Amino acid sequence: MSPELEKCPRSLLVCEKSNFLNEKSRHDIHVSKHNFNYKISVLVPECGILPANVSSVIHSFSPYYLVRDLPVYQLLEEPFLESLVKKGNFYALSYNTKIDEDNAIALLSSGQLILSLDKDTYEQLGLEGRPSLYNHKKAMRFVVTLDLTDKSLTPGTKRYQRVLSSLKDRLPLRYDFLFTKYNTGSDEDHTLNKLLSQYSYEEHKPAFSHHTLKNIPCPTLYPSDIQGKTLSCDPHHFLEWLGAVNLDISCENAADSFLSTYVCPEPQSSVSQALLCTVTGFISPENVFVLLQELRQYFDEPKFTPWISLTVHGFMDSPVSWGATEHGFLKSGENFYNFVCFKNQDYWLHMATGAQDGCPP
Amino acid sequence: MALRMLCILADHLKRFQCQTMEEPSKFEQYVYKNASVYHYMKISLVLENGNKYITDAQFKQLIICGLKDLYGEVGASFPFDLLKFDENELTGILRVNNSGLVKLWSALTLLGSYQNEACAFRVTQVSPFLLALSGNSRELRFGDQLICRAQVALRG
Repeated sequence: MSPELEKCPRSLLVCEKSNFLNEKSRHDIHVSKHNFNYKISVLVPECGILPANVSSVIHSFSPYYLVRDLPVYQLLEEPFLESLVKKGNFYALSYNTKIDEDNAIALLSSGQLILSLDKDTYEQLGLEGRPSLYNHKKAMRFVVTLDLTDKSLTPGTKRYQRVLSSLKDRLPLRYDFLFTKYNTGSDEDHTLNKLLSQYSYEEHKPAFSHHTLKNIPCPTLYPSDIQGKTLSCDPHHFLEWLGAVNLDISCENAADSFLSTYVCPEPQSSVSQALLCTVTGFISPENVFVLLQELRQYFDEPKFTPWISLTVHGFMDSPVSWGATEHGFLKSGENFYNFVCFKNQDYWLHMATGAQDGCPP
Repeated sequence: MALRMLCILADHLKRFQCQTMEEPSKFEQYVYKNASVYHYMKISLVLENGNKYITDAQFKQLIICGLKDLYGEVGASFPFDLLKFDENELTGILRVNNSGLVKLWSALTLLGSYQNEACAFRVTQVSPFLLALSGNSRELRFGDQLICRAQVALRG
């Protein structure tokens, strides 16, 4: 059989172990750099009811907006630029645009506007960019990055006028967008609503659901053994088990079963109940960080379980994964991370990406 | 005497474990490239004349037949797991070794009939991480129903 048939796309998994109280811990940076978050999943073993503080944090997540048919040049116009883009905590991502087929537009909190464009659009638009890192033999995809907070793109400058005219007159790009803004103060609550009032838009709250799992096998994890050599199970098996729990897959199969031989990884123990809750939508990293802080406090009181888990999935069609690292979709566009928080404030952080992605930080 | 020694040993071990749990960990980082042994596929079966009643075993057997048709007995002799099957939607999640991914996927693509009825497998998602199959942002859809469900979920 040809060896080509046995090849498969590459994947990367970065496993980091540290303590939240460690000054040099980078957990806050990793969370804040992962700009576009689609789904959050929290698993709490030995727990039947969602703690009130966690529930209230989830219910106070910022709403997100689906704006229909927004011209891209509007993001550069002064109302958006001054009141949203330059103030930060504002995220925008084009909706229903596939990164491997269509053009995709993203606006990061840092003020960078990323346009991932196919060859024809890039040539017609005439803006300076670079070929995508994940082109095959011919360059068919290009990435244009505009730093909207840079002095050269201040309204009135030549470069600003040229960029604006390209997006407005030369090739008016219009897409549906997802917007979200993390509000740091009550005064800013209505800015986004006022700006969107001239467009067709819908406000959404992230969808929340939870259920309790009964009598499930659960891997044993010790904070000191992240590689799974002796006391814990190894990271890939742990993430596989987490996936099985999220997807309601049975972990108790016989080794000679026809259908499935999947079992919970060793070492394991049985737990009488576990709480699984998910939040889905367009969620800002700030909201994720607040949730993480609340989950850390879960162990302020004695608990049966030694660990809890938080998983955050990124958007498959986002042009970036962490920071401005280019992200693509080959056979899949996964870019997710998972925190395992322990009693003593130790944590494990697993960051996973697919074939067309840079290595997570 | 032996029992007393065992109790003392167990106590020491417990204390040692507690200590190792309590001491904050030093920073460590490991990068794994292509370390996942399996790939996972989320698939659905579409039948020309609408859904039939198919059991999980029949579903898996259909895929095995497709593999044998394309690659022969020897070529198809690698295991794969049907981790989950929904008999209402005819969707399933498969787990296969990395070396078998291309063969399995190609067999699913070229499988055209089930019990003399035209059918097609749709591959919704493929990933080396099972966890990634639970968060597919391409499923994010909007409509009046979704807004209402979200609002009800929060009120409740």
